[in-house]
Amino acid sequence: MELLQPSSTEEAIGALGNGSRALAGGTELVPLLRDGLVKAETLVHISHVVPRGIEGNRVGAGTTLAELEVDPQIPQVLREACSQAASPQLRSMGTIGGNLLQATRCWYWRLGFDCWLHGGETCFAKDGAHREHAVFGNGQCASAHPSDIAAALVALGATLRTTQRRLAVADLYRLPTTENRDVTTLAPDELILELDVPTPEASTYLKAMDRRKWSFPIVGVAAARFDGEVRLALAGVAPIPWKLDSPAALEDATPLAGTAYKVEIAGALVRRALAEIALTPKSPARAKREP
Amino acid sequence: MARLIRTEKEVEGRYEEVWIVVDEDALDQWPPGPLTTVGRSVPRVDGTDKARGNAMYTADVQLPGMLQTAVLRSPYARARVTSIDLEPARNAKGVRGVVGPPDLDALTDEPGYVGHAVAAVAAETFGQAQAALEQIDVQWEVLEPLLDPDEAVRQESFVSDVAHYERGDFERGIAEADVVVEADYRTQVVLHNSMETHQAVCHWEDDGITIYISTQYIWGIRSAMAGQLGLAEDKVRVVCHAMGGGFGAKNGPGDYTPIAAELAKRTGRPVKCALTRREENVAAGNRNATIQRLTAAAKSDGTLVALGGDFVNAVGHSGWSATTEGPMKMLYACDNVRTTQYPAKLNLPPMAAFRAPGFVEGTFALECLLDEVAAKLDIDPLELRRRNYADSDRPDDRPFSSKNLAECYRRAEPHWAKRDEVRARSKAPWKHGIGLASQIWYGGGGPPSYAWIRVGSDGHAQVVTAMQDIGTGTRTAMGQIAAEELGIPFEHVQVSLGDSARGPFASISAGSSTVPSMGPAVRSAAADAKRQIIEIAAQRFHLEERVLDLRDGQIVSADGGSWPLTEITGLLESGQILGKGARGPNPAGMQVLTFGVQIAEVAVDVETGEVRVDKIVAIHDVGRVINALGAQSQVEGGIIQGIGHTLSEERIVDPTTGSILTRTLDAYRMPTIADVPEIVTDLVDVPDPHLTNLGSKGLGEPPIIPTAAAIANAIRDATGAEIRSLPITREEMLRALHEAEAREKERRGAPAAV
Repeated sequence: MELLQPSSTEEAIGALGNGSRALAGGTELVPLLRDGLVKAETLVHISHVVPRGIEGNRVGAGTTLAELEVDPQIPQVLREACSQAASPQLRSMGTIGGNLLQATRCWYWRLGFDCWLHGGETCFAKDGAHREHAVFGNGQCASAHPSDIAAALVALGATLRTTQRRLAVADLYRLPTTENRDVTTLAPDELILELDVPTPEASTYLKAMDRRKWSFPIVGVAAARFDGEVRLALAGVAPIPWKLDSPAALEDATPLAGTAYKVEIAGALVRRALAEIALTPKSPARAKREP
Repeated sequence: MARLIRTEKEVEGRYEEVWIVVDEDALDQWPPGPLTTVGRSVPRVDGTDKARGNAMYTADVQLPGMLQTAVLRSPYARARVTSIDLEPARNAKGVRGVVGPPDLDALTDEPGYVGHAVAAVAAETFGQAQAALEQIDVQWEVLEPLLDPDEAVRQESFVSDVAHYERGDFERGIAEADVVVEADYRTQVVLHNSMETHQAVCHWEDDGITIYISTQYIWGIRSAMAGQLGLAEDKVRVVCHAMGGGFGAKNGPGDYTPIAAELAKRTGRPVKCALTRREENVAAGNRNATIQRLTAAAKSDGTLVALGGDFVNAVGHSGWSATTEGPMKMLYACDNVRTTQYPAKLNLPPMAAFRAPGFVEGTFALECLLDEVAAKLDIDPLELRRRNYADSDRPDDRPFSSKNLAECYRRAEPHWAKRDEVRARSKAPWKHGIGLASQIWYGGGGPPSYAWIRVGSDGHAQVVTAMQDIGTGTRTAMGQIAAEELGIPFEHVQVSLGDSARGPFASISAGSSTVPSMGPAVRSAAADAKRQIIEIAAQRFHLEERVLDLRDGQIVSADGGSWPLTEITGLLESGQILGKGARGPNPAGMQVLTFGVQIAEVAVDVETGEVRVDKIVAIHDVGRVINALGAQSQVEGGIIQGIGHTLSEERIVDPTTGSILTRTLDAYRMPTIADVPEIVTDLVDVPDPHLTNLGSKGLGEPPIIPTAAAIANAIRDATGAEIRSLPITREEMLRALHEAEAREKERRGAPAAV
């Protein structure tokens, strides 16, 4: 394996594509390489060519979660999403750009089962073990997107600047289709450079976990208020970060036999998030309960 | 004098009757309570080395020319290897040796679980060995696996005989009862996940082998490997200086030791075989799942008149079936008890003993059931347990050597009396509650075990015994016992252990047996040395032996005389005083058991199903305490492991293929320090008057036994929800809450919620 150390963004982009992969904090890519889930002959070390740091609403894609969680310029929802993610060691290495691109923790996908998301025919989770899996967008694949940070950014309506374009964070993601199983729209030779993170009037991130620390979300609820209007997004409930148009939209969940409890938790956390950012919704969400 | 006796040997609830040669235990017990060193808090002697990374674990062993091993493990739960070609692996880069199914009993061509070892490669680096595995061409005939324990019972697929037990007349008890409660409980598979994975380094020299291994039983490895290799036992040397966790899974050589031994023989090089974390989560043993279908019947005054249950142990492909029904048979004085235990054989990785196997699972179910009885009868749960107190061992109709559970209950009272106060902390959406559960378990240890001691001219002592310290603080505790008996400062004692070539036979460190088995032998050796010192002193000072004693590093006489110990030992110059000691027999006709009670304070978020354990009070009766600090540490460790078992840990299996899905520590969720509540340890610390010269029982296992039930009962107290399965995930918690809500509505006459 070859490790390239480009000295400019242009040089980095030139080295990407053809199966090479960008390496920043390595907290996600290194395990994926070790497990053979990502195969790359060339790694392009981008830490020195991607902006890092926080300036007002602008956040360099190379900024670590540890830096974000303590910076007063960063909205509460994003700080809380960072501080509740992973462990201090991982947050010190992991970057916000990399965090947005992390793969699902679905155990079938992680163990290399020939599953639908890997290009196969079957989602093994649907009829298999799936208590950590999706309740939305799970028609073909029941994987859950693990990023707390992505949910926070979707709720904030944050935008990205890449080497090719500007786009909303929400538009970075796509539900995989039979023709294209990717969950992001990022091109192989495209790098996330910077984020623009709007400042809300109030915001919060609430997360349900299996233990107090160092756990991916069972459900994460990000809520941010702009001009009196609340935007919600969920983590851990769909193959991609899930924008929730209204609390009532939880009624539209399509849980698996073993994931209905997630909808109930999401309902409770959405209510709390709304209360916390001091806004009473016109029609409070009532989560579906299993009979 | 050596004596030949017929005695029962017990490890983790399994008895066998054996002939043994024992030395008489002639020493009187020390007076109760903390002494000069014994019973005090002593920081572990190897703590600094461990913190600094200086302690030598098997994982640290690096020998010149040492090869690394990778093991090809079956990806199928049940399959036949129709052909296997090892040649491409032999020719791969760095490879020095390859073994397959015909070469070794530890390798199979008919794998019965995912992770069953099929072939192994030794190479210059681990990466080369792993890469070579890919080159092995295997053709599999994949067969339908048996994964469901109830189905295994229907098919009579068992690892051993179905175990029936009955005392009294169960049906009559049911007929006489005022209340009958039936409930099914399930417990999950949990994994030991020791910090140091299972591993061994094998090194042949001349016609013998040295095995460095992470083990709980040096002598068991020596014996097992001598058998497998066809060697005289003294040709096998087993070394384990420091050990990164065992919890019952490291009692035997596993597959990795014979694999390393064979590859070392073939290559003429030292070979290490160390499981990866993923292998550890698949093929290193587990606490098996159980299904327990239970009945309890009681009179209106709380007297239990019948206890019964069908216990299905999902043992896996091999292993042994623990006594999940043990607590039901032993904990209470019920006259009519009927149990059946089914040891289901499945195409899943084999169980291995895990810290009180059977009793952790059985106590969860039994003690939750007891609280259901208490609720039905409106009797205080602590009072219900007192009313059914067992004064003797019911299954074997024998007296207890000692039982201070009543004292544990007495000490529980002030904590239990806080029930209203704890409940009053409830503030929506959090509901607070308090629960308790009792514990019964073995832990008496037994013979044989031996220790030597040598005292030099400087008055310092070295304890020599070929036992292992599995991280429980054995080095420290044995040093305390020797220092106490010799009357010298703790700092003047060293303990040499961890090497079968250096010192006599010593006990397995399993079944809470290290201190009760080894401690008396160490004291006996120290007493032997002390006797000799006093004999010499008597001659030197022209006094009678009976007026002399050793205290605080001084030889003292009854008339007030006092001489530094070195005045006598100094006479030795290069000579030494040698003491030897042996573990005497257990008390004949008596049952030696440990007891305890734990009280848990919990809070439940009734909207999200989050369970927070705020506090656990652990009160246990394990006889004399040797190291108060070490004992507290054991209790805390057991409770933390119990909290994982109760709330977050579960090995998850694909229900179709039997593949293990939780292979990494992000998927298999052990508690972190943030999940650890306030833990209060209170040990009764009264010596068992019948048990050895120490009166000490073991403490490794008791603390993990009642934790799950105490937490589940606290959840019931807080919310009314009846927990029926472990772990108490959010899903299980919300299910139990909804069920309780429906029950409550029904009780109030409203139609049950749909």
